[in-house]
Amino acid sequence: MYKLLLCWRYLRTRFLAVVCVVSVMLGVATLVVVNSVMSGFSTKMKDRMHGLLSDVIVETSNINGFPLTDDEMMARIMASPVGEHIQAMTPTIEVVAMINFEHTLMNSRDPGLYAMGDRQKVSRPVQLIGIDPKGRAAIGGFARHLRQPERRANPSFELTAEARRWFDIQNPPAPRIAPAIPPGWPEGVPLPEETPEAPIDPQGAIVGYAIACYRDTNPHTNVEEDIFTLHPGDTINILTVGSGKEQIRPVYGQFVVADYIKTELAECDSHAVFVPLQYLQALRGTPNRSTHIQIKLKDYASAQFVIAELRKIFRDTYTFQINTWEDKQGSLLAAIDIERGILNLLLFLIIGVAGFSILAIFSMIVVEKTRDIGILKSLGASNQGVMMIFLGYGLLLGVVGSGLGTALGLAITFNINPIEGWLSTITGTAVFDRKVYYFDAIPTNVEASNVIFLNLGAIGIATVFSVLPALRAAMLHPVRALRFE
Amino acid sequence: MIVAENLHKTYKRHAEKVTVLNGLDLDVHDGEFLSIVGSSGSGKSTLLHLLGTLDKPDEGTIHLNGKRIDNLPGRERDRMRNEVFGFIFQFYHLLPELSTIENVLIPMMVGSGIRGWFGKRREARMRACAILERVGLGHRLKHKPRELSGGEMQRTAIARALVARPRILFADEPTGNLDVRAGSEIVHLLRDLNHDEGVTIIMVTHNLELVSSTDRVLRMNLGRMVDDSPSLPVAGTLWSPQHEYGTPRLHQREAV
Repeated sequence: MYKLLLCWRYLRTRFLAVVCVVSVMLGVATLVVVNSVMSGFSTKMKDRMHGLLSDVIVETSNINGFPLTDDEMMARIMASPVGEHIQAMTPTIEVVAMINFEHTLMNSRDPGLYAMGDRQKVSRPVQLIGIDPKGRAAIGGFARHLRQPERRANPSFELTAEARRWFDIQNPPAPRIAPAIPPGWPEGVPLPEETPEAPIDPQGAIVGYAIACYRDTNPHTNVEEDIFTLHPGDTINILTVGSGKEQIRPVYGQFVVADYIKTELAECDSHAVFVPLQYLQALRGTPNRSTHIQIKLKDYASAQFVIAELRKIFRDTYTFQINTWEDKQGSLLAAIDIERGILNLLLFLIIGVAGFSILAIFSMIVVEKTRDIGILKSLGASNQGVMMIFLGYGLLLGVVGSGLGTALGLAITFNINPIEGWLSTITGTAVFDRKVYYFDAIPTNVEASNVIFLNLGAIGIATVFSVLPALRAAMLHPVRALRFE
Repeated sequence: MIVAENLHKTYKRHAEKVTVLNGLDLDVHDGEFLSIVGSSGSGKSTLLHLLGTLDKPDEGTIHLNGKRIDNLPGRERDRMRNEVFGFIFQFYHLLPELSTIENVLIPMMVGSGIRGWFGKRREARMRACAILERVGLGHRLKHKPRELSGGEMQRTAIARALVARPRILFADEPTGNLDVRAGSEIVHLLRDLNHDEGVTIIMVTHNLELVSSTDRVLRMNLGRMVDDSPSLPVAGTLWSPQHEYGTPRLHQREAV
């Protein structure tokens, strides 16, 4: 009991103990914040990737797509033992493409200004993805990343009324010129009516958010804004790869921007252009043939079984790649985990430094308390008892430091965006540059197990570094301790 | 009660050997109030440390009620210091972080684990309060040592030494840091405790006035006992405070 009493009193009365507590607290707080932010990034990226990729992906590297039609492929999969595990399935085509569009600034959406020609041609490589929007929405989080709220509820490539109006402004019908009267046409007899031109029915496309805009600081407000260069209703020209028996061939198409997709994943937002599957199939000359089958499982736990079964089904006939979404993004996910591990290791050195300060301060406290140790021994305290006082002191210090550090870390984590804003204002530099990440806010995710692990680590370090001073205190000779001055 | 035979103790000081006890013999009776006087460096405090199992003799034996205690293992020595012996020091040696009552309770806490302590906490507190009342500090229970006078601190130390009901009390210069009046009060308190509680007291002191209250006086010189006789009243005796302790009495004996 005296050990607990003295631990507590030493903690409360010694200023040096506060130094130890603060160093442990800062170390733990830093680790909690960094881990929460890293975990936030990681979780958000995984969530986005999983949302876009579905659970299991069957794909072929053949430019012509699967040798079976989409319906045959899906029927074959559903008829297999994995059929009962499948919740939804959809075919897609993913091919590289080059897009070309006219860069129209915001103010030039005014028809008058547009006519003045405030435009530039822009080309960029993209990943062209042909999808059935409803099918794609059924296998993942595609719909929830669309920018237009009404399209999230009913995913489609339909143009909104405003997009259509803007499209019509850019693509006015050709002026009707009165046909020349053929020679010898009887006078007074009207020429026959020409069949009116059918209105253009543009194919909609959903374009990656970062393709359609860039982020820049508004010189008037000094606030970062998304500057749009591609708007719903704008036309994009596409050059992609068509099917061919012997060699690939280029095919050209034209789509109209219907909406943007903003996943906050640079890979998708900067490169993906979603177009109607059937139109792309027709454009490439591969009707009813796709390059990917995206499968959503009822329970992701059965993914490995499903993959094994699918590999059996398609083993002899075709060379397909069948993977989970995690396998496909394995290197990126592994890189995130490795980064996090290394960062944790490095940051734990902070607590290691705190441990050395505990060692130094405890050694000083043992010297300062030499006479008290002599008194305790004269009152019958054993060597182990004295050792336990200082070990308990270190443990208590670790517990208090970790507790306060966790509280501070969580407080910072939960308010990281206001804090970031405040720091950016003070320093005049964006601490979290949204140009880099396309995130509107710093993502955070507090993992309870991680916080517990950090706390245990910090408490362990505080205790381990107090072993040496505690041993020194325990080994003090009572008479020498009593005579110490 | 305590019998020490042929005690030797040598310390090393800067590669030099200093013999502190040199074949000392001692016999202390149960319930006795014994005072030991001697010049600085005569080995008085070392003798108390050896008798109280705070240190081990290089040579010789110490028996307590017939049981040898100088060669006991560490745990047994700790237990004896907690249950059988009590210590009072010149500089009080109170723990500055604890209140008066907590300082007094410490020996009882040391003697019991957490579970045992919760079982006897109330009883221990009552005992500590009673002893503090006895030494006149019933109104100072919550005060920290820095808030007490020297006399009060020494009385706290006495209460702490007595709380675990020791059979022998070792007092090392208990009045050395107090003025004459406070010192006298402390010795009278010890005398009363010796009388009322029957606790054996072995006191080392420089103050010749105080030894008159004790049953027996021993004088040490160069690590040995050189004089052993019943104490005499101060007034009209050779134990005059203006003389250096011990010397007049020896002269008288030699003269006789």
